[in-house]
Amino acid sequence: MQCKDVEVVLEQEGLAPLPDAARAHVAACSHCRGLIADLESIVSLSVQLPAEVEPPARVWVSLRNQLEQEGIIKQPAAVAANGDSSWWHNLANLFRSRTFATVSVGLLIAVAAVIQVSQPPVPAVVKENASAGPSWQIPFAQTRQTLNEQEVDLRNMHLSSTSPVDAALQQNLQQVDDFIADCERHLKADPQDDLAREYLSDAYQQKAELLSAMMDRGRSVN
Amino acid sequence: MGTRLMGCSVTLILAAAAALSSGVTASAAAQRTEKHFTVNGRPVVAIQNVADGRIEVRSSKNPEIVAVANQNSNKISFDMEQVGDRVDVTANILDASAQPQELQTSLLLTVPEETELQLKTENGMIYVEQVRGDMTLESVAGDIHLKDVSGYIIVKTTGSSLVCTQCAGKLDFNSVGGSAQILQPALTNVNLRTTTGNILFDGDFIRTGLYSMRSGKGVVEVRFSGNDSFDLSAKTNMGTVDNQAAAFLKPDSHSKWRFPSKFTHGFIGTFGAGLAKVELSTFSGTIRILKRD
Repeated sequence: MQCKDVEVVLEQEGLAPLPDAARAHVAACSHCRGLIADLESIVSLSVQLPAEVEPPARVWVSLRNQLEQEGIIKQPAAVAANGDSSWWHNLANLFRSRTFATVSVGLLIAVAAVIQVSQPPVPAVVKENASAGPSWQIPFAQTRQTLNEQEVDLRNMHLSSTSPVDAALQQNLQQVDDFIADCERHLKADPQDDLAREYLSDAYQQKAELLSAMMDRGRSVN
Repeated sequence: MGTRLMGCSVTLILAAAAALSSGVTASAAAQRTEKHFTVNGRPVVAIQNVADGRIEVRSSKNPEIVAVANQNSNKISFDMEQVGDRVDVTANILDASAQPQELQTSLLLTVPEETELQLKTENGMIYVEQVRGDMTLESVAGDIHLKDVSGYIIVKTTGSSLVCTQCAGKLDFNSVGGSAQILQPALTNVNLRTTTGNILFDGDFIRTGLYSMRSGKGVVEVRFSGNDSFDLSAKTNMGTVDNQAAAFLKPDSHSKWRFPSKFTHGFIGTFGAGLAKVELSTFSGTIRILKRD
C-alpha cells in the first residue's frame, strides 16, 4: 500500500479503524503518520468546540480571505455554486495537503481561542462539577486508541530479540506509558491544565515514534 | 598408566590446537577498512550504523575525509561511498543470526573542520570534537558526547544521554529517557526536552538568547553566572522549584509573563537587565536554580 492509497482509505472510511494494510503502511511511513496526526488533532479540536456557539461571521470571512491569499482556494463563490463537485469533496481535496492540514489546525485553534475569549466566564462551581463529573473525556482519545492498537500489533509480532537496543526501546516505551498514565491521572483531576496537556501531547508523539522504530526493527529482524 | 598419560597429552595438544585455531579464525575475521575521500568546501558526512560500536568524529586541516572502520567479524560490512562532497558510510548486517559481539564495530572519521554531519546509530557512543557545521545525531541506546562543536545541533535519542561541552550555536535535544548536560556553552538557542531524564545547564546565557528546558519527571538544574542577564520562568505541575538563587533574582520586570493556568506553580524573575529568556518546566520533577560563585 502506498501513501496515496492510505489517503483514499482515509477519505472513504475516515480515521478509524484503519484496515491492517493501511496500518502497516502508516507504521512505517512518517508522512502518513503526520497526516493522520494532523487529522486527529483537527477532529479532537472540533470535538472540543462548543456546538451551540456559532463563530462570528468575521472569523469565516477572515478564514476565507486567508485561504484565498494563499491560493489554496480559488473562485470561492462560483465554484461553490457549481454542482460538479460538492463542497465536501473540495474540502477533502484541501485536506490532502499536509501543509494545509497544519494551517487548518492553527486556524481552528485561533477560532477556538476567539470563542473562548468571547464566552462569559464559567462559574467556579460549574467548572468544578465539570472536572469531577463523569463527562470528563480522555484528551487525545483518538491518538490514544490508535497507539494502543499499534502496541498490541507490536506485541503480536512476537519479537524474540534480546539485543540491548530492543531492551532499551522496551524500557523507554514503558517509561512513556507510565508518564502518559501520570498525565492522564492529573488531567482527570484538572482537565483545564494546559501544561499537563502539552506534556501528554509530547508523550504521545514520543510513543508514536518509539512504536514506529520498534516495528521497523521487528520487521528487519524477522 | 603410560597409555592414560599419553591419552591426556594428546587431549591437551588437541585442545591447545583447537584454541589456537579458534584464535586464528577470530583474528582473521576481524577487519580494518580505511578509506580516503578528497573533498572541497564544506562536505556532508552521513553515517548509518546499525551495528554496536563507537563512532568518533574529529577534525583536521586537510581537505579530506578519512574513514577507518574496525569490525569483529565478517557478519557485518561497511559501505563507504562518495558523491561529490557527500560521503555516506553505512553498516550492513550480513547475517541476521549474528550474535551481538559479532556486530561490534568502531568507526573513526577525520573530517575538515567545517563539515556537516548526519549520524545515526543504535548502540554505542557517538563522540564529536572540534567540528563546525550543522549536525543531526540520532541514537537509541548509545550516549552522545560533543566537545567544542558549533552549528545547528539536533540530537534525538530514546534512552541515551547527551554531554555537550563548549558547544556553540543552536541546540535541539529530544529524548525519552536520556539526560542532557550542557557545560560551558556559547549557545544562543537551546531547546531541551526529555520525558524522564535530567537536564543540567551550567554556563552563560547569551544576551538575546532563548533557552527552553523541559523534563517530565527529571531534574532541571540551571547554574548561571554573575555576568548573565535574563528573564526566567520556572513552572511545574506537580514537582518542586528549588530556587537557591532567590536573593539574586528580582521579580519579573517585564511583567508580561504569566503562568498558563492556576494549576502551575513556580517562579518568575529577572537577573540583570533580563536580556535572555529562560523557560524551565517539569511535570513532576524538580527545578533547581543556582548561581555559581
